[in-house]
Formats: sequence, structure tokens, C-alpha cells
Amino acid sequence: MIILVETPAGFALFKVKDEGKLANIEDLAKEFETPDSARKIVKLKAFDKFDNTSEALEAVVKLHEGTPSKGLRKFLKANCEGETLAVADSKLGNVIKEKLKIDCVHNNAVMELLRGVRSQFTELLSGLGDQDMAPMRLGLSHSLARYKLKFSSDKVDTMIIQAIGLLDDLDKELNTYAMRVREWYGWHFPELAKIISDNILYAKSVKLMGNRINAAKLDFSEILSEEIEADLKEAAVISMGTEVSDLDLLHIRELCDQVLSLSEYRAQLYDYLKSRMNTVAPNLTALVGELVGARLISHGGSLLNLSKQPGSTVQILGAEKALFRALKTKHATPKYGLIYHASVVGQAAPKHKGKISRSLAAKAALAIRFDALGDGQDNTMGLENRAKLEARLRNLEGKDLGRLSGSAKGKPKIEVYDKDKKKGSGGLITPAKTYNAAADSLLGQTPAKSEDGEESSKKKDKKKKKKVEEEEEAEKEEPSKKKKKKKVEEEEEAEKEEPSKKKKKKKAEAETEVVEVAKEEKKNKKKRKHEEEETTETPAKKKDKKEKKKKNKD
Amino acid sequence: MSPPQRGRGGGGGGGRGRGLAKGGGGSAVRGRGSESGGGIKGGNKVLVAPHRHAGVFIAKSKGDALVTKNLVPGEIIYDEKRIFVQNEDRSTVEYRIWNPHRSKLAAAINIGVDNIWINPGLKVLYLGASSGYTVSHVSDIVGHEGCVYAVEHSHICGSDLVNMTEKRTNVIPIIEDARHPAKYRMLVGMVDIILCDINQPDQATIIALNASYFLKPGAHFMITINANSIDSKLSAETVYQKEVEKLQMEELRPTEILPLDNCEGDHACVFGGYRLPRKQNS
Repeated sequence: MIILVETPAGFALFKVKDEGKLANIEDLAKEFETPDSARKIVKLKAFDKFDNTSEALEAVVKLHEGTPSKGLRKFLKANCEGETLAVADSKLGNVIKEKLKIDCVHNNAVMELLRGVRSQFTELLSGLGDQDMAPMRLGLSHSLARYKLKFSSDKVDTMIIQAIGLLDDLDKELNTYAMRVREWYGWHFPELAKIISDNILYAKSVKLMGNRINAAKLDFSEILSEEIEADLKEAAVISMGTEVSDLDLLHIRELCDQVLSLSEYRAQLYDYLKSRMNTVAPNLTALVGELVGARLISHGGSLLNLSKQPGSTVQILGAEKALFRALKTKHATPKYGLIYHASVVGQAAPKHKGKISRSLAAKAALAIRFDALGDGQDNTMGLENRAKLEARLRNLEGKDLGRLSGSAKGKPKIEVYDKDKKKGSGGLITPAKTYNAAADSLLGQTPAKSEDGEESSKKKDKKKKKKVEEEEEAEKEEPSKKKKKKKVEEEEEAEKEEPSKKKKKKKAEAETEVVEVAKEEKKNKKKRKHEEEETTETPAKKKDKKEKKKKNKD
Repeated sequence: MSPPQRGRGGGGGGGRGRGLAKGGGGSAVRGRGSESGGGIKGGNKVLVAPHRHAGVFIAKSKGDALVTKNLVPGEIIYDEKRIFVQNEDRSTVEYRIWNPHRSKLAAAINIGVDNIWINPGLKVLYLGASSGYTVSHVSDIVGHEGCVYAVEHSHICGSDLVNMTEKRTNVIPIIEDARHPAKYRMLVGMVDIILCDINQPDQATIIALNASYFLKPGAHFMITINANSIDSKLSAETVYQKEVEKLQMEELRPTEILPLDNCEGDHACVFGGYRLPRKQNS
């Protein structure tokens, strides 16, 4: 009788030497207690090794289905002529009997025998120790597990995370090396750095010419445009750099080679990242693009983690510092994080960026879940959603156009009253606070102004929009306000009221502001210092609009 | 006796350290409780002493916690806390806290089972591995020489299990139904202990079948019984009794039955031996 034993390393056939012992099942176990006595019962007849893990996986999967694989069939045919075969699985036994006409047995005795063989396996299979078996066992088990879980190595998001990390690293390295080339070669030919601004072209030129003397003879037309080439050749003649030896040039050239090969590799890596993104997360890629998608996945840690986040989180991923700062200080939170760089958000006008970013984040969250947990491999869902988003953008812009052409003055913005919410820029970007020299000189100021000598160049804590315009520079001279694209020129006397002012889209006339504040539709919901208004009212009335501009520029 | 090792943050307590090395036997190691867990707050001085069971340790601070030495330093399974201890040669040893609420084996150890039969270097068959939480601690105990075959049928838990095993090379994941050990016969060798946590009404038959395939004679097993999973109409004690009888019929002789009072619900842990040699009546 022959017994078939399946192992992670391959199939083993043992010949049972003494079939009489099989009759006594209980004592059979004792026979296998020592390797020597085990060898008396069974002997290794043949061993069919698996060539690699994939072959092993195939064979095992077939066994699960209950059929012998080709390799097994050949093996059995070659070795089992005229013998009964003891198998562990009766179904398999039946199939073998049918296909290969080999009689199969499966009973308690067989089970006991298998136990025994398994316990003395390493001894009976000389040449295959536990150490060798362990990695094969591990490999087979992992392949089998993955097969069961329908794991596809294409859909691993770890590649994406590593690739984007490498891309950033490469950019940094490339920049560092390129700067180094410039510095180093600048010792020999300083003018070149100003002539050629692009790093790659610089490296190519340096590589081509080596010593600047050669510049006149060589042809740079493949690398540079004609005018730059002309500049280069001119500068090469009159350069004030020092001479360098050939050995130095050799090293500089090596460095240039490095720069060029790195930049080539970076391009390849980018292509790789694009293709991976399209495989791993096609819908997300369709919505936000490869780079933004990859950054989102990298930020979230894995596609699965990212899929657990709600749309609002996807919206501000990447702006956590601003978010928590704003939450702590009760200011308005940021409107976009990494998603700002998506092309849909880029296309939108500044005042629609917030809305589009929110809609995009919502659709992106759906796309991420679809990619992470769904079965589909295509990006139809992503494309549909993108079309919806673009339609929404057009809608938003259309509404705006209608409004612009319609009325002269739009309705002012009404905000929900929140007594604790602080106005002004606090959480977001604040421009650098510079010392306001104009603030401390009282000479040259009008009487009205001088009343409020405590002209505050206090930079009050206000919120600024991300598009900080130049007016903000002017506004810095006065305490700054939270403004959209409107110029608000205020006099110092009105500055005290500034904490109470909110974002406005109108031109406020500073001197008359005090008065007009009440008259115009400015909505100040905070307490105003009315007393001050009245005192400065009269002098304020005297001022000219032109004058205020001059004063503000003080 | 080697002097007790001083861990980080233990510099101040010079005198206190000397008189230790009792309780667990052997030297106690002072550690820094870096993250809080099980009553251990961050930054506190924590003492790590070996437990009575080989491979398990106790971390003593305000409260006691069961810990195992992390086989893969730096990796945690879900979000368990870790304790770092510095040796005399400035190397850091990392221990992971074993939560008895999550793991029935830890609960059994806390209650005070006589012997868990898991020692470093052993081969373990774990039926019902789930996401691999207890499996990871068992893998810590058996170390690199030992091996844990983790069988789990569900695909969702299975993926977590496979992810966990990618870092731990002494765990073999098997995504199969434990009812059919023939399906994973080519992956498993003979084992020294079977741990069974599958909560199926026919679990006695399952463990018996697996034992007949893979358990060495004279080896041991542990099975957790959830009374409600077996039969919710009967009382817990009756269920335990019935299960024990079923096991005894299959050559699995129970040596210890431990009701797990610190777990929710009616759980019990049964430890026993397989094909134990008949006791000689002297």
C-alpha cells in the first residue's frame, strides 16, 4: 500500500512496509514515536517537489476542488502501478480511482498512519528539514489565503503611497543637486546661472560644454533657444569666472549626469504613478486627477482608511493645522485642503472655490468608497460625477453673471448671529505684521485724526481671505479688516469700530463712514462706540474723498 | 542572582529597586509606561515582571496589566498600548498590553488558570483566529521557534488576519472552515496545543476532528464555551457539563474548567489533554 502525503514542498508517496500493523490502530501511534520505528513502518518511495509557489498554489487549489492536478496525476501514474493508494480525502480518492484507475483507500487506519507520518515527517523525508519547509509553508499559506480573499496585487495602495513619497523626495533631491551644480559651476562661469533659469537646461549645457571655452565652438540648438545661446556664447567670452581643471570638470559633469538621470527617472515615476492610480482608484482619478488622488490616499494612510472618512473630512484633509487652530480660537475654518489643487477647484472663480470644493469633496468621498470597497474596475462613476460637478460650476458662474448684469448694488450678506464668533482673520493666513511707521507720527494729520491719537496700528486679529490683495497692505497701516475684493478706506477714528465691522463688498468712505455707517446699508452687528462717532462726526464731514486717500498712504 | 534591571524613568528610585525580584521569580525590570492602558498612565514608572506562565509578563503600576513581549517591535495590531523598558545595555524591550476583555485567554490567565500549556517554541493550532488579536499574543509567547496556525473562515476577519501575519512570520494564516481540516492538511504539521474559540454548536466535534489530524498524543487543548452559542435555552452550567461530556467521548480529557467571570455573558474556558497516558494506579 502506498500513502499519499501532501506537503507545502510537494507530494510525497510512502510505501507501507508492514501492512499487518495497520490492523492494530491503537498501537500504530506508538510505532511512530521514534523516527527509527517509524522508518520500519513506512519508507519514502517518491517525492514530487513543487517548482515554485504558484505551482504549489495551483496544485492545492485543485485539491480543494477535489481533483488531482496534472503534476499529481503524472506522479501517481508513474509510481502507483498496481498498488492501493491511501488518501486523506475520500472524494479525492474517488476521482483518482475514476481517472487513474488506482484503487484508493480511506479509513481510520489511514488517518492514524497519516498522523504518524506527519509527526515524523522531517525524519522520513531526509533532505527536507523543518527550516526548509517553513518558508515554503509560509509562502503557500499566504498565496492560498490571498487566493481565497481574491487579493489582487494590482490593487495595492501601498505602491501609490510609496510612489508619491518618492516623487516628493525626488523633487527635493533634484532641486538640491541642481542648486549644487549651479553653485559649483558658477565658480567657473557665473554668468550662466542668470542666463539659463531652468535647472535641467543648465545641467545639459554644462554637460555639453564642460569648460566655457568650448562654448563658442559648440552648437546648443537642441538644448537652448537661439537668443539664450547667443547670450551664452557672449558671456562665455567675457566671463570673470576662474579656470578649473579637467578633473574638476569631470566631477561637475558627473553631477550633471546625476541630475539629468534623476529628472528622467522622475518623469518615469510620474507615469508609473498615473498608471497605478488608474488601476487602484479609477473613479477618484477621474474626479480629482492622479496627483491629488495619490496625495489624498497617502494622507489617509490607505485607500480603505480614506474610504471611512466623511466628505467633510476629505474636503479639509491637508489643512489640519489651520482647521484646529480655527476651531480652538472660534474662527472660521478653512474651506479646502489638498483638494484645492484639483483642476475643478482651480477652474472655479475665487468666490466659488469654497462651494465647489465642498461638492467635489462629497463626490470624491463617494468615489473613494466605490474604489475601495466596490467591485467595478472602470471609472464611469467618476466621469459621471465630474460632469455633474462641472455643470454645477457653470451654474454657479451663470448665477453670478446674472447678478452682475442685473442690479447695481447687490444685497448685503446676512450672517447668522453668533455672539462668540470672533470676526476677522484669526485662523487663516495672516500677512506678515510689519511695523506701521505712519501710525506713530501725529504731525501732518488733520485735527480730527489727532483726536484719536491712540491711533492703533494694532493689528487686530482678523481673518483674511486666501487671495490677499494689495489693499491689504494698505489696510495693514490701519488695523486690518476682513474684506473681500473691496477697498475700505477708513480713518483712524473709525478704527476703533473696526472690531465690530464685518466683511463688506463696498467702498466705504472713511470720513463719512462714521456718519454713513448709520445711513448706508453697512451692517455692523457689534457694539459701536457711538460717542466717538459723534465727536468726530463734524470734522469728518469736512474731509474730502481725495484727502483720505493721501492720508491712508501716510 | 542578577541585579534588577533599571528601566527608563526609574533612576530616582535606587533603593526601591534593590529589594525586588520576588513574585514572578527572576529579575524585575523597571519600565516607562509610555502610553496609558490598563491603569498605567503615561510617564509612570512601570515594573515588568515575568508571570508564572512562561512567555507572559505582568506590568505593575497603579493597576496590573498582562503583557507579552512584542515579537515585531514597533507594530501594534489595533491600538493596544505598549510599555517600553530599557535594559542595562541601553536596548529597549517593547511589551504589548494584553486586554482580558478582548481575549478570553488573557481573561483565563487573570483568573488564575493552573497551566495554559503554551510555552515558547511550541506549535499552536488556533481555530477561530478572527482578526488575530489573541493570535498575535500567542505568537509573542511562542516566539520565533514556535509557530501558530491561525484558522479563520470569515473573509473580512481573514483579510485583517493576513495583514497581521505579513509582519509576523511565525503565524500561518489559513482561510478555511475549521470543520474540514482535510482542506488545510498540507499546510499544518503536528501541533503541541489546539486553542479553539469558534462558538459553534458542534465545536466539540470540530476540535476532535482537528485533534485527530494534527494534535500530538499527550498534548493539550483549550476550548472556550459560550453557553448561549451552544444552547441558549439551557443554563450555563448544564451547557458546560454537556460540552465536557462530548469532549470526553472524543479522547479529549478536560483537566480544568474555568468559568470566565470577568467576561460578559456566560463563558467558560476548558483546558485538557489529548490521548493522555492512562494513569497508573500504584
